[in-house]
Amino acid sequence: MTTLTQPLPIAASQHAASPYAVEIRLELLRLIRSPAFALPMFVLPVALYLLFAFAVAGEQAAKDPDAARFMFAGFSLMAVTMAAVFATCPSIALERELGLLTLKRAQPAPPGAWLTAKIVAGVVTGAIAYLPILIVTAVSGQAMLSAGQLAAMSAVLIAGAIPFCALGLMVGALASGTAAPAYAHLLYLPGLYLSGVFFPLPKSMHFQAPFWPQFHLNQLVFAAGDVTKFRWISPEMAFAVVLGFTVLCSGIAMWRLSRRG
Amino acid sequence: MNTQPNGERLHALDAVRSFALLLGVAFHASMSFLPGIPKGMWAMSDNSPSAFLGDAGFVAHSFRMTLFFFIAGYFARLLHGKLGTAGFWANRGKRIAVPMIVGWPLLFVAIIFVWGLGMQKVFNGAPPAPPEMSKELGALPLFHLWFLYQLLWLYAGALGVRAVVAALDKQQVLRGLIDRAVTGSVRWGAAVLLLGLPLVACLLTTPMWFPWLGIPTPDQSLVPQLPATVGFGTAFAFGWLVHRVSGALAAITARWLPHLVLAIIASATCLYILKTQPPFGMPDGPKTAFALAFGVSVWAWVFAITGLALRFLSGHSAVRRYVADASYWIYLAHLPLVMALQVWVGDWPLHWGVKYPFVVLTSLALLLLSYHWLVRSTVIGKVLNGRAYPRRAAVVPVEVPADDEVVASLCGVSKRYGKLEALSSVDLQLRRGELLALLGPNGAGKSTAISLWLGLHDADAGIVKLLGGSPQEIARRQGLGVMMQDVELPKDLKVHELVALSASYYAQPLSVKDALDRAGITALASRPYGKLSGGQKRQVQFAIAICGRPRVLFLDEPTVGLDIQARELMWANIRALLRDGCSILLTTHYLEEAEALATRVAVLGKGQVIASGSVAEMRALVSRRHIRCETTVAANEVRGWPGVVDVSTDQAQLHIVATDAEAVVRHLLSADPQLSRLEVKQAGLNDAFNALTQEAA
Repeated sequence: MTTLTQPLPIAASQHAASPYAVEIRLELLRLIRSPAFALPMFVLPVALYLLFAFAVAGEQAAKDPDAARFMFAGFSLMAVTMAAVFATCPSIALERELGLLTLKRAQPAPPGAWLTAKIVAGVVTGAIAYLPILIVTAVSGQAMLSAGQLAAMSAVLIAGAIPFCALGLMVGALASGTAAPAYAHLLYLPGLYLSGVFFPLPKSMHFQAPFWPQFHLNQLVFAAGDVTKFRWISPEMAFAVVLGFTVLCSGIAMWRLSRRG
Repeated sequence: MNTQPNGERLHALDAVRSFALLLGVAFHASMSFLPGIPKGMWAMSDNSPSAFLGDAGFVAHSFRMTLFFFIAGYFARLLHGKLGTAGFWANRGKRIAVPMIVGWPLLFVAIIFVWGLGMQKVFNGAPPAPPEMSKELGALPLFHLWFLYQLLWLYAGALGVRAVVAALDKQQVLRGLIDRAVTGSVRWGAAVLLLGLPLVACLLTTPMWFPWLGIPTPDQSLVPQLPATVGFGTAFAFGWLVHRVSGALAAITARWLPHLVLAIIASATCLYILKTQPPFGMPDGPKTAFALAFGVSVWAWVFAITGLALRFLSGHSAVRRYVADASYWIYLAHLPLVMALQVWVGDWPLHWGVKYPFVVLTSLALLLLSYHWLVRSTVIGKVLNGRAYPRRAAVVPVEVPADDEVVASLCGVSKRYGKLEALSSVDLQLRRGELLALLGPNGAGKSTAISLWLGLHDADAGIVKLLGGSPQEIARRQGLGVMMQDVELPKDLKVHELVALSASYYAQPLSVKDALDRAGITALASRPYGKLSGGQKRQVQFAIAICGRPRVLFLDEPTVGLDIQARELMWANIRALLRDGCSILLTTHYLEEAEALATRVAVLGKGQVIASGSVAEMRALVSRRHIRCETTVAANEVRGWPGVVDVSTDQAQLHIVATDAEAVVRHLLSADPQLSRLEVKQAGLNDAFNALTQEAA
């Protein structure tokens, strides 16, 4: 108690860290410490990739580099985007519900720091989930992709986390803490299958693939890697759709989060 | 620069100027969609042309630069009055000439590059040879920077004329006449009809005049062009004169509606003539009619938009201020970007209704981002806007003047949630260094009052002040600490991490160690928050509330769930903060807490302040006392005595609540001389509180 009446030194905290940096670091720590997030997000995609690309369809993938590329692109996309959605959506909904967002608004927190931290955490966890798949692909050499192609595809994949962070933001901003993960699954998972990034779709299902953002991101990934097969629309169109999707989702999220009370 | 003599910024005119500049971006973005524009006239010809954009573009382009020069003239005189001639030129050199000279080569390279890409697309990979540069004297493609060049000429002209008039008109006779003419002409509608006439005469005598483009753009030569100099010169001069007379802006404001109606009619006339006549070689009759309608439309738009802005946008708005600051940079840098986007989308098989908004919104978004990150807080921003904003403006702590004894106040504040009136014209003050305990039953409006002070909600009526300003300002909130009622912090983070995060929001926080020390939870530093007990969580929240060295502390039921030891510790902490000069607002259900800590107490009930004062005053408000004794007198008998409020018995004891205790005791003693164990007690805050809130209900 004696400390209370003594003037406390300011010097130690003069060069305090930027709230953005602290917020981002803690958001990442929080995600990595939470086993319910870290285990499925970091282990599942690479495990599935190993299972399908090397065990189940290993023979075909070894013969046909296009098949190997298809699976690489598909599972990488799953790794990146799933982490992006589930790093952002449930925590945003929960923290809104538990009053943390209200507390931050009352404190002099910079308005963008919390949201920036969520998005950065989404992108970084996406990259962490993707890294083992990249390593496996590069080491196995099955997909016959040069280092340049891999680098370009990786860049697009990691940037591709952003639209899915926006999706997570939107659902997290609209839904309640308990309902948010369910809604996120509902909006995200069907797209993973129906967009045809995991397995080639039958012709009758082609019409609906362009409705899923996963399809467009997949197209951009192939375009970046200069893979000529599996290209259905021009990269410009795909980019425009992904951009529009991002703007729409983040716009709805901002609108919702900025309304007070 | 843009201030009135009384020091207030002219927000509305700032808004008008940025509107004129941003309209230019929208206009240039429409260029590739104009129907019938010859290939090679613009960097791109879109495959989905739009007649609507053509018409809208014509109207926007007819007045946007005149509007800009009108405002420029107004601000020029304002600035000259403030800085003097030498200061004026130094300022204009930095803000106008430097951007023009530095910007031109960069824009030249960028525009030529984008234009080349566009020509490749427009002519399917076989563009014609670029036209040779004109060899005429002074020929130079100025691009859209011509307006800066024109502006410099107009400054020189205005100061020249001013010097001559000042020398000739020593008695101010001429200037007095002009001033009256300016106000009168706006008031009686002459300005809107006559100001365009010099321009009309110029346009009609210009060979090869292309009516759609209005005033021919002087972007090809350093030699001033006659129509532009006359047209924009009139606007600049009239803006200058309007600044001379105090009533002129008011006259423009009052007449925004008639001006707007006239503007629409005149522009519609112009469009009708354009649609019914050949674009080139218009016969003289329609051409004259067009020119006259054009002259009127230009000035009608200028007055209508200026008037609208003065009428509706005079107040300060952080967003408009930001956009106004950004608009100069946006306009300077927009052309290559807009063109690049036009070239990119030009052959997409999409409708213009998709592509045009895409071009406008994407370019504005990128330009705003570039402004925010490259310009606003850098030397470029300093040159363009006269100041560089610090990147984290929020951390500048706002010092409350020493004589300001009230650190937070609600003044006539009302707040409704739907049909529920949570607060109705409440006045409350938190004074420096005091602890104000806010009491009241559930739903009395305590949490609403706190949320208004924290800037979480806006009041429907009345004024909410925190540390001398609005709690919505993040700089004010630098001085507050808060402990809220229903907050759950992330359970996977450790205590010291949570405190560090909150500390990072403040400019001069305590170190994490000190904050934990003060709250008495150093031992918990490395424990995950989710593993703590309810009381420990409250202590962590207390540490978070005090980590920013707050001058005002809001504690919403801080000791709920604490054991006695922890509560004593928190009380001691609160007292220590009070000794350090911190002002505290505390809500609580524990009345003994208010009695132990409060300097003042305010009781809320049904959204109103029922009573406020010191703890003693509050007790006195209800002058009840409790009498206990062992007696043979029956409770029912006592109930009838004067001054008795309530009687109850437990075991052998009689318990009386009385307003006039002395009289009741005398009565008791005379009725039962054997009476024993007599005890008379002053009522506590608890009773006062119950009495007050029951009265309110």
